[in-house]
Amino acid sequence: MRRFLRALIYALTTAIGLLALVAPVVMPGRTTNAPLLLTFVVGLSFVALLLEVQGDAVNAKFIALLGILTAMNAALRFAEVAIPGPGGFSPIFFLIIVTGYVYGGRFGFLLGALTLLVSALITGGVGPWLPYQMLTAGWVGLSAPLLRPWAHWLHAEGRRLEIGLLALFGLGWGLLYGLLMDLTSWAFIVGPAAPASTTFRATVRQYGLFYVTTSLVWDLVRGFGNLALTLAFGAPTLRVLRRFYKRFSFTYRPQAA
Amino acid sequence: MLHAVAWVVWLTAALVVVSTTRNPLYLTLAVAAFMTTARAIHRPDEALAAPLSPGRLALFVIPLAAFINALLARTGDSVLIAIPPTWPIIGGPITAEALIYGALNGLMLTALFTAFTVLNLAVPVRDLIRFIPRAFYPLAVVVSIAVTFAPTTLRQMQQIREAQAIRGQRMRRLRDWLPLFMPLLTGGLERALQLAEAMASRGFAGEGGTPLTRRTQAASIAGLLGLLSGGLLTAWRQTRWGMGLSVGGSMAIVGALGLTGRSIPHTTYRRTPWGYREWLVTGGALVAMTGFLFLGQATRAYNPYPTLTWPPFDALAGTALLGFLLPALVVHERE
Repeated sequence: MRRFLRALIYALTTAIGLLALVAPVVMPGRTTNAPLLLTFVVGLSFVALLLEVQGDAVNAKFIALLGILTAMNAALRFAEVAIPGPGGFSPIFFLIIVTGYVYGGRFGFLLGALTLLVSALITGGVGPWLPYQMLTAGWVGLSAPLLRPWAHWLHAEGRRLEIGLLALFGLGWGLLYGLLMDLTSWAFIVGPAAPASTTFRATVRQYGLFYVTTSLVWDLVRGFGNLALTLAFGAPTLRVLRRFYKRFSFTYRPQAA
Repeated sequence: MLHAVAWVVWLTAALVVVSTTRNPLYLTLAVAAFMTTARAIHRPDEALAAPLSPGRLALFVIPLAAFINALLARTGDSVLIAIPPTWPIIGGPITAEALIYGALNGLMLTALFTAFTVLNLAVPVRDLIRFIPRAFYPLAVVVSIAVTFAPTTLRQMQQIREAQAIRGQRMRRLRDWLPLFMPLLTGGLERALQLAEAMASRGFAGEGGTPLTRRTQAASIAGLLGLLSGGLLTAWRQTRWGMGLSVGGSMAIVGALGLTGRSIPHTTYRRTPWGYREWLVTGGALVAMTGFLFLGQATRAYNPYPTLTWPPFDALAGTALLGFLLPALVVHERE
């Protein structure tokens, strides 16, 4: 029952998030403040998801680990902002995917969402795009454990093949993240009531044009950046994370009076 | 230092104004007011500035939005360039109206961004973290840890880099970053272990979480269902039912948040005072917003299609927007 309810919450929030992301393309131009309304809806469903996920985050070990890794990832993102690399390359997804894979989807979700929140706080980048970014980066981490059955089925654990799987996953998410983020900037940049966009087919064609002109190159850079990072750093990182997983699995027991 | 809530009220009013108008004259006025406020708050001795200034964003986003919209929207009377319609994808007329409309979108985006820049400049990170709802207490702890340790991590990165440079390591290829990244990761995990022990020894929540109670879980599921069905109904033009369900769903989720928050004890050590300056800032913003919404009713909306016209302007509504400037006048008093 618990598991079912939990899965239901995941499914519902994913559905709402996806619909809110797709809405500006599928049904163009209703009201002037549609993007802000959608941001509100996405924010609320994100709140519901966070409430469910944070149920695990109440022991000191989980909180300390999550806090430190978030600080690290946000610092990496800060380095990325300070030293502009090629195109859309961003080092944050590597750690989100790998920790999600090793420590579980909820950890990955929180690491993804909080990395973006914290880096927005320290670089002064809080804005209406933040809920979308947090939700999407959270999805990246939440979906990483989906790879586990595949790795198991292919007997890939501990072999190069496992790293290959993770690298391909990173490539896929690098592209998908850009596609989803572009949907939000579509809502803001193209805005309401571009009058030519009347039919569904025309809008999708317009969106395709928008996507190709604005972000395809960036997304390719991001995706292949993830791929390269995972191939280069994947194996040692997995080893370290697994070693610390063992070191973290101890319990405190208060002495009986 | 003004109370953070006053700034949030200011920001909300600013967002409402910006998102209800598309008249370039009002938008420009609003951007000017926000930028003046930002300049008044910003002190040059503060180390960390926003990575992207609104001015630079405007230079980038307005032409981009204009270009994209000109490419996407092919209606309007004043044709600038007629690309033969047989050309794939880009075929069709490029009109001045579409170009202007896109630029207006860019201008609105700039206004939104500037308003948020003011918030980021005005409210210290510590006070922003306080806005995390009480129900998310564990996550607020995580965020505070991360904000505290992020500078440490940057410093550590620098130290490792120097140490490796002394050993003759050079950064040429991606693989050369490995000797930098691995010590950083291992060091971070070691620190997390120490921190966890320190927290546990100070009595911070030991083992076994308190997962959501049945009631809150039910409330959030009901809320999500309401939002989803409400959104779908609105999409199918059943606006009344859709809106009702969406509002109900939102309230259920907020209720779940409140229920969880109530179970978490909370103490305040030091209250930030709320003085006349806070009243001035919130009052000014609210007067500006309501004044603009009422006085600018006729002139707010502006649509360049199908033929470009000069946007209308109401002097009183424009004056109302100056209410957003009040914080610039009072923010540095008696400090």
